[in-house]
Amino acid sequence: MSLLKSFNSYDSRIVYLLLFLIVTIPLLSPMGLPISVSPSTVTYYEVIDALGPDDLVLVVLDTEFSGYMEIQSGIIASMRVMVERDAKMCVAVSHPEATGIPELVFAAIKNTVDEHGYTYGEDYVILGYVFPNEAAVASAAQDWQGVIHNDFYGQSTEGTFLDQIHDWSDWTLISDYTTGIQSGSLINHFGLRGTPMIVNCIGVMISTQMPYLSTGIYQALLQSMRGGAELEYLTGHPGPGMTAMDAFTLGHYMLIVLIIIGNIGYFGTKENSRRNVE
Amino acid sequence: MFLVVAIFVIVYYYLKSGKIPYVRRVAGLDAIEEAVGRSAEMGKPVMSTIGIDGFNYWTLAALTILEHVSRDCVKKGVRILVPTGGGDSSYIVRPVAEEIVKDAYMLEGNPEDYRPEDLPFLSGQQYAYTGGVVGILQRAKPGACIMVGGHHSEAMNIAETAVLVGAITITSGTYVSNVAVLACASDYILIGEESPAAGAYLSKDPAQRASIRCQDIYKGISIALIILGTFVRTLGSSFFIQLLSS
Amino acid sequence: MKSRELSLIAMFLSFLVVFVPYFIDVPALDTFSTKLITITAITVSFTLLLAIHSQFKRGFDFVRRKPRGWIFKVYMMITIVLMLLFALGGLETGPYHWAMYAIITPLSSVNYGILAFYLASTCARAFKARNTKSILLILTGFIMLLYQAPFTGAFFDLGPIGIYLANTFGLAAGRMFLISVTVGAMVFGIRILLGQEPGVLGIRSEE
Repeated sequence: MSLLKSFNSYDSRIVYLLLFLIVTIPLLSPMGLPISVSPSTVTYYEVIDALGPDDLVLVVLDTEFSGYMEIQSGIIASMRVMVERDAKMCVAVSHPEATGIPELVFAAIKNTVDEHGYTYGEDYVILGYVFPNEAAVASAAQDWQGVIHNDFYGQSTEGTFLDQIHDWSDWTLISDYTTGIQSGSLINHFGLRGTPMIVNCIGVMISTQMPYLSTGIYQALLQSMRGGAELEYLTGHPGPGMTAMDAFTLGHYMLIVLIIIGNIGYFGTKENSRRNVE
Repeated sequence: MFLVVAIFVIVYYYLKSGKIPYVRRVAGLDAIEEAVGRSAEMGKPVMSTIGIDGFNYWTLAALTILEHVSRDCVKKGVRILVPTGGGDSSYIVRPVAEEIVKDAYMLEGNPEDYRPEDLPFLSGQQYAYTGGVVGILQRAKPGACIMVGGHHSEAMNIAETAVLVGAITITSGTYVSNVAVLACASDYILIGEESPAAGAYLSKDPAQRASIRCQDIYKGISIALIILGTFVRTLGSSFFIQLLSS
Repeated sequence: MKSRELSLIAMFLSFLVVFVPYFIDVPALDTFSTKLITITAITVSFTLLLAIHSQFKRGFDFVRRKPRGWIFKVYMMITIVLMLLFALGGLETGPYHWAMYAIITPLSSVNYGILAFYLASTCARAFKARNTKSILLILTGFIMLLYQAPFTGAFFDLGPIGIYLANTFGLAAGRMFLISVTVGAMVFGIRILLGQEPGVLGIRSEE
């Protein structure tokens, strides 16, 4: 009787402790559970796999640092593929906390960058925090040369591949890694004007981004940390995403178990109170 | 462009004609009044947050609801806490919120009860603001937590902490990502446009009510287009797809 | 002319300058529109200075009155000054870089991570099969949780049903919100242009 009552109402701290253990233990001691690859990740991979040396990609890290933790795997895996395909990357951020992220990412893919002779200034440029609001995105879309003059390090962008960019139509691809800060602005000023866009978003945003995928504004959508892990698996470079998938899986299963336990407690106490009344 | 011009015409028509469109009373307003009443009985304060966005559609609705909540709280002798911040544009909204609460005290004849420290500006950074609000909830233990306006991922943090401290939690799910979690975490939720509708109902402002009517008209048109588009597409024509695509 | 009318006229002209080139290609207007947008972006950034001024003004007043917790206000003002000084010393290295990546980003990451714990306790508390609708909701939740867990796909292919639920119900809800929010934002903008939102312009509405 008391067990059912305790199933129905228990201290939340027990849940917190269980979740902490369920997430921490697989991170410290990976179990290597197999993962499956979803069709959306395959589509995303096909888009970035088709890039080549003549393609100009605007990579927008549209995330603060806390959101970066979730989509880190997708960012690293995607940019690794772009380096391998020798696509030209221009990296911009839309939150002050994200200014250090491009360097962290390039440090993580340093081996690939060195192997392919991917050089700063020739193959990639980091602009830094240039998209603080929609006005900045709009002006960059309409007149890139009038707005962007220097990179993050204060050097002129003249003489780099950015000389070829004048407006939204000159980009081959916009690759947006977003927690929702400027994703709407990028859609309004790039996507709706016909510039191909691919997006890697956090889990809670997936349902809001699906309409853009179904209408063709997005070419592909990589779904949160799981999509990043699947991309790592597809590209053959395990990283932070695949490491977290054990914890990810067990966390999901724990939620199911908690709901079942809660309902057992609910029905058990309901039944007992009905019997007591009779 | 046609959509913008059409909205302009409809809103202008309602403003000039002097007609105040009918907006039904949203059920969430009863929950808000009940929550304030319960806080008065328990002698606890009420916390009301207006979101972390700047001046936008949701924030305006939140400010109108804040005006109603402030007047209700002052009438019933309940202290109202309004922590602000959380976003880059949140400091623009703060003076307006301050004026609203101050005016509520003045209009109810208790200007000396207004305390500026009940409206702290916590931070322009989302999670610093969240930490501050959670701290206020844990210390003040309000009887009710009314979260309206544009809340993002911090909504879950605040709503769950409010439940844990025993406050009646009334939230507005302004972003679809939040609706599911807030529906589970809070006692009452105003989904999507219920909060602007509640704001329009309370304010009796013709412009706000005209906006709600305008949106209803557009929703009706959208439903008709969906039904018609489905029918036309089933017959093999892509007329509507081409018409509405960018 | 009153300042309110002047503000409204300036706002309406700015709206036309930005709005028209989006639909009609007028090169001179295009260039002017870009310049105006750039000026706006810079002006908005300067409002940060106003925010800092406001924080310090309130902070000094708060510390002078010494209510409960005044020491935290002092701490806040000191950290603002420190971060400004650090930033002057360079953003890529040095104390600013350390403060951002050793203090601020871990703190915000932890706050974001706490969501998972709150979500778990909410699920445990809220998902009770009280009636038919909630049973349907719980079953759908189970299917989606199993579908999202990567390990499940290695044994059961829940892809078709998971994708179906996401592409019908999930997509419908997403679209519904998009339509509402878009129309709401447009209507709000029109109300501002018609001068019906004096608070946005910083003009006190007459009682």
